[in-house]
Formats: sequence, C-alpha cells, structure tokens
Amino acid sequence: MDLTNGRNIASSAPARVPGAWWKYACGALMCYVIYGAFFIADGAAGFGKGGDNARAVFFHVPSAVLSSLCYFIGVVYAGMYLFSSRYNNLETDAKSSIAMELGLLFCTLATITGSIFAGIQWGVFWNWDPRETSIVIMLLLYASYVVLRLALAGRPEVRARLSAVYALVAVVPAQFLIWAVPRLLAGMHPTDTLQTSSGLSLHYKLVLYPAFLAFLLVFVWLFQLRLRAIKLVSRREAVS
Amino acid sequence: MIRGAVQPDAAGWASQARALFLKDVRAELRTRVALSSVGLFTFAALLLIALATRVLKETLTVDLARLPEAVTSEQIRAHMLPAWDDPGKMGLLWVLLIFSAFAGLAHSFVHEEEAGTTLALRLSMAPGAVYAGKLCFNLAVVLCVAAIATPAYVLITGLHTGPIAEFLVLMIAGCLGLGAVATIVAALAAKARGTGGLFGALGLPLLIVFELMLLNAANTLYGGDVTPLQSIKDFGGLISYSVLLIAVSAVTFHFVWEE
Repeated sequence: MDLTNGRNIASSAPARVPGAWWKYACGALMCYVIYGAFFIADGAAGFGKGGDNARAVFFHVPSAVLSSLCYFIGVVYAGMYLFSSRYNNLETDAKSSIAMELGLLFCTLATITGSIFAGIQWGVFWNWDPRETSIVIMLLLYASYVVLRLALAGRPEVRARLSAVYALVAVVPAQFLIWAVPRLLAGMHPTDTLQTSSGLSLHYKLVLYPAFLAFLLVFVWLFQLRLRAIKLVSRREAVS
Repeated sequence: MIRGAVQPDAAGWASQARALFLKDVRAELRTRVALSSVGLFTFAALLLIALATRVLKETLTVDLARLPEAVTSEQIRAHMLPAWDDPGKMGLLWVLLIFSAFAGLAHSFVHEEEAGTTLALRLSMAPGAVYAGKLCFNLAVVLCVAAIATPAYVLITGLHTGPIAEFLVLMIAGCLGLGAVATIVAALAAKARGTGGLFGALGLPLLIVFELMLLNAANTLYGGDVTPLQSIKDFGGLISYSVLLIAVSAVTFHFVWEE
C-alpha cells in the first residue's frame, strides 16, 4: 500500500514536528477538566452520592458526542473516496478508517462511563434504556466495520471500496440510533437534568465546555498520530 | 478495471432486472438450495421454540404497581397477565425470521461466482439492474419464509395478530427491511470472499436497529388505545428505514459490483 503518492520520501522528512504548541495546550486543558470535574463543579441535585455522580457528565457526554462525530467524519471521508476522483486514493481511505477506529474507542469509553454512572445512580449497571441500547449498537456497527477491514487485509483497493460502501450503508441505522430511537422510545436517560430554569450553572459551564474542547483536541491528536504511523508503514513498504 | 454494461434506458433497466429475477427463480426451483436450507432451518427453529416455550406460555405474572395496598387473592387473579406477552412473541418471531433469511440469502451472490456467471452479468447488465433483480429475489424468499413460518408460529405460541391490516403492514415492512439488508450485505460478503460468519457479522448490527423499531411498532399494534398519529409514526419509521437503506444500497452497489 503506497501512500507516498510518488513523492521522493528521503528528502521530505521534517526536522521537527510543527504545531506542537496545541498539544501542550490539550494536555493542560485535560488536566484542568480533571481538576474541575472534582474541585470546581459542585454536586448536582437529584444525583446519587450527594450529587457527585453528576461529575461523570464531564467525561461521558464528550465521549458520546465524539463517538457520533467520528462516525460522521469517517462517512465523509468514505464518501470522498467513492465519489470524488481527486480524493480517490488510499490516504483518504486511511483517514476514514482512522476516524472509525477512534469512534470505536470513544464509543467504548462512553459505554463504560455510562454504565458506571447507571450502576451508582440506579443500582444496576445496565437497564436496556434506549440510549444505553443505542450506544452498544453503535459499538457493534463500528466493530463490524473493523471486522470487514480485517477480512480484506491483503487487498487494500478492495478493502477501501467495500469498507467505504459499508460505512455509507450503515449511516441509515446510525442516524436512526442517534436521532430517532431515543425520541421514539421513552427511557431513563437523564436529559436536561443538570439545567436549572436559567440554564446550565456557571460552575458546570466552566468545566463542561472546556471538556468538549479537550476531548476534541485529543481526537485530533490521536488522528494525526495514527495517520503518521500508517504513512510510516507505507514508506517502509515503498522503500523495501 | 472491468466496467459494467452501458447504462440502459428505464425500460431496458427494468427488463434486465426482471430477467435476473426470473433467472434466479428458475435456478432456485431447479436446485432448491435456498428453499431447502431455509425450510429446514425454519422447521427446526420452530420445533426448538415450541419445546423451549411450552412452560413459558402457561406462566402468568402480575404487575404489583397495579394492585392496591391490601390485596385479596381474587384481586391478584383478576390482574394476572401472561408472562410472555404478544410484543415479546413478535420479537422472537422476527429473530426466527432474521436467522432463517440469513441461512438462505447469504449465498445469493456467492453462487454467481461459483457458477461462473458473474462476468456475464457484469458485461450484460447495469449494476443497478443487478441490484434490483437480486433485491426482488431476496424479498420474494423472505416473504415466502414469512408466509409459511408466521402461521406456524402463531399456532405454536398463541401470538395474537391484533388488527389484521396493521399486522400485515408490519410484516411486509419487516420483510422489506430484512431483504434490503440481506442483499447489500450478501454482495459485500461475496466480494470479500467471506464465510457465513462475515455475513452475520456485517448484517446483524444493521438489523438490530430495525428489530428495535419492529418491537416499538409491535407495542403500538398491541397497545389498544393508540392514536392514528402514533401508528403512522411507528409504522412509517419502519418503512422509511427500509426505503432509505434500499436507496443508499442502490447508489453504492456499483462500487461493490464492479471490479
């Protein structure tokens, strides 16, 4: 699999990694979120352990949102691979697969943190609540995408095409899971429970909004690392 | 790269799809591979369900929330309900139909490779016509399986159909979604040269969402006092899922089909 696109590899290796400043900022922001989740935000009324159970929202909600966002990004790259002659290359396919792999990671994190929250809040770690069911089915969709790619490991062009088609076909159940199922089926999942009549409290905004940004930066960082790793492997294969 | 045939006009496209559908029907009637495997699987599964649910059918339960604080045994008896209710029976029926359909439809594209007809189809038919023909054949198989298995299941489990028109809409919409998923997943699995395991791994996650919506529609079907808007929402959701899936599959099929 050649991701070099015919470039002279030996002369293109950079002397230092550009843009490292935002990675330091990401690390600092994540440290702030962890500190803020336990020491800045107060416990919320109506939640277990004296309201402390609500602190899971700073990790669970960004993970859940990112798992949906990753799928959207993966589908966009899959569509670009199939329908655009300019982006019909293995690098686009690699970006699609990386987004889906990271989606699987964040979906797993959302499932675990949600389950821990449910165990503390309601005494049972799994209730078959519609949102809980939705997240585990998203996990299955991501996993089946990975299984398809593994089954086609030795045929990169075919793998790119078929996995892009599967990602696009699976958009239908994914969108029903994200938007339709939680609204069709009543559940126990807390919605709008952290909000007062005047909206989210200032202490929660000070931590939750940076948490979204921190998780997004982590995703971008992991995406870059994974893409660079894949390109390094392709350089090695092209040289050998 | 081997491209498909030159795109025909609408009449040519429809006649190609019909020709492929009739070819598959004639081949199936001659060899009876899918019918026999599906039939045997369905019969064995119905037998297992009959044996496993013999006691469950007769078990009654009571919803304590509906009882007053101080209850008599007569009040308890008056509020007893079957432990295995009609929505639950409908859910198990669809699990049976899904696995029966998977038993028969996993090879709908593989047998073209085995018979050596894939290249002929690629050269003589547009990809869209191939997809339409295979979709129609798979739908026909699923509808046949449902038509035979559902009455047997109703007899075995005592499932009530409720309003018959809504029941038929639910069953037909379910078969449409099942056929749509099975067709595109069979094409992907055949191209991936995967085993039946890959077919199940790819298809079942797509169908779990559909099963959720089927169960929701079944709750509406057996709910009794349901508004027409609720029925339209639930049954419309089923049909829209199937239609969307068919649309996306039709648009992307030629990427799977062409070499």
